[in-house]
Amino acid sequence: MPGHYPGKAVRVHSDRAINVSSNRVDASCMKAMLSAGMRQLTGASDDRDAWRQFISPDDTVGIKVNCSGAPEINSNPELVASIIENLLSLGLPPERLYIYDRFAYQMRIVNFETHVPKGVKIAAAESSRGSIAGYDPFTYVEVNFFGEEDTRSNLIRLVSEKFTKIINVPTMKEHRAAGVTGCLKNIAYGDFSNVARSHKREQSNTYSFIGTLASVEPLRSRTVLNVMDGLRSIWHGGPFLQDPRFLFYPKEIVVGTDPVALDHLLIDMIEAKRRQEGAPSIFDRSSAHLKFVHERDPNFNSFIREPGHVQYASELGLGIYDKSQIHEKAIEL
Amino acid sequence: MTLIVAALVLPSLFWDKGAETANLLDRARISHIDTPASIADSWKRVAGITVDVVDLKQLIHLTTPSVRFDPQEASATRAAWVNSNGWRFLRDPDARFYYEAPGASAPLAAAEAFTYGVWAVIHTNEAGLQPLGGMLAFLKQLDSEYLPALANIGFIDDGSPQSGEFMNLLVRRNLLFKIVKQPDPKLDLTVALGSPDYPRFEAGNPSLLAEKVRSHLTDEKRLLRIYGSEEVIGRLFGDGNHARLYLINYESARASIEGIRVRVLGDYSKQQITGYELPDARLLDVSTGAGATEFTIPELRTFAVITLSQRK
Repeated sequence: MPGHYPGKAVRVHSDRAINVSSNRVDASCMKAMLSAGMRQLTGASDDRDAWRQFISPDDTVGIKVNCSGAPEINSNPELVASIIENLLSLGLPPERLYIYDRFAYQMRIVNFETHVPKGVKIAAAESSRGSIAGYDPFTYVEVNFFGEEDTRSNLIRLVSEKFTKIINVPTMKEHRAAGVTGCLKNIAYGDFSNVARSHKREQSNTYSFIGTLASVEPLRSRTVLNVMDGLRSIWHGGPFLQDPRFLFYPKEIVVGTDPVALDHLLIDMIEAKRRQEGAPSIFDRSSAHLKFVHERDPNFNSFIREPGHVQYASELGLGIYDKSQIHEKAIEL
Repeated sequence: MTLIVAALVLPSLFWDKGAETANLLDRARISHIDTPASIADSWKRVAGITVDVVDLKQLIHLTTPSVRFDPQEASATRAAWVNSNGWRFLRDPDARFYYEAPGASAPLAAAEAFTYGVWAVIHTNEAGLQPLGGMLAFLKQLDSEYLPALANIGFIDDGSPQSGEFMNLLVRRNLLFKIVKQPDPKLDLTVALGSPDYPRFEAGNPSLLAEKVRSHLTDEKRLLRIYGSEEVIGRLFGDGNHARLYLINYESARASIEGIRVRVLGDYSKQQITGYELPDARLLDVSTGAGATEFTIPELRTFAVITLSQRK
């Protein structure tokens, strides 16, 4: 990161991507959206040429999904299946493709197995919550936030020991502590153990922790592509859907290699939606809007959000935050 | 240092049911009990059981070792409340103790008393007999070579309840201390409630006091650190060349722990685990160097012993 295309973001929107009344994703539309996005990003005229820029047949690929809001909001299996189809077309055997996340119980809700070819591995770092076997004991970030006893956050073992490339497939949503959860948070908090300790009471240390985690090698250099899934989104109370009225349907995906640039677009999207709903900005830090409760009232939040984590990550060299240097291309299908 | 082979101090079952229940003890492989005087004679006639008489009024009654989950009170760290008696044993090591420990808490009580080397009896119910018998058999076969307890913090105990709770939090956070009468220059830190660093008015927040001790000592100097669980408490023994670490999982009545990472100060080139109910247990991802030995314990039931040797 920021990869081959710093500052470049391709948004692909289609009204057909998801049927709002049935909540069903149109797999063929999804495929077309991914194809259009990849070709636009890379300048390739052919899907295989586009994917070949990032993945070779020798790679072992981890597809980092986000299942933390399942079943209401998660990386859609139709999108993941489409990514896998492209990887298989490059000659990778299914056995070297992994769909992974931290928690097995959340992955089971999404049920990726039924959408992908036999042989593709579905892997969770924690078979039961808190188990550490799936993490690398030698690769960690150590920091004491609130006097917690366990001050280490360890990298998922598959990332350090198995994968040669990672494709990041986050959702696009508001997050009550980080402000938004997109590329950076999915690759950071979604690849390390023991990260919930960074929030306590109204305080969240996501501002610097997200970028710090995302910078850890080999995670940083192996993450070669981001495909943000914005078919559904949440504008308040994330990462979980706490009230159905906070769910909305942007019906888009955003493709790029630069997680900072993509997350900046996500911030703009969430801010616009919150303005439309009359809710305070995610940059609001006033105590008048703090209340440690379930987020059912969009005027209140449990934490002081830290959407500045995206800009902080740019200072670590993870990508471009300055909007004047972000080249955004929108495609309508 | 001269090695002393000492008799293990094993806790025993306090049993107040009559001799007609002898078959239950036999099935649990329990061959020694403590009873009230009123039923001792009937038990003395039972073959294969030795009996001592104990007067409960003379014993210090302990908290049942356990973990309490209070989701309404817990913070985002999900930290649970651990009921441990370690501080009581350190304050009064020569006292005699009594546990009320039904079911799965019985082996936990036995492991705790054993770890601190105190005299204790454990009253349990029928459900606790088999697990207790299993734990006593496990403890009996452990290495009995004497090693002194290791600590690098001295605690000046004024005997007050506030100091007791302060010590409780130090035990729970694996800040290894011993009770001293005055500062010992051989230790890294001396702690006393009422001193300028630990004023008495802060005693209402013993967690804060423990955190201050940790901060003053620094994590680098901690003799023992446990990553991955706040429900495991350890006690370390050693003589400079060998060390032995006892680890108690206070959550064991509910679940075994799927992996903890342990850091012990000192480079030990040999490491071995003996795990209760886990005869094939082994340590993973061992690393030594930079003055510390680290290893992963993939599963921890109620109790495990780690033997470390050949310190560099």
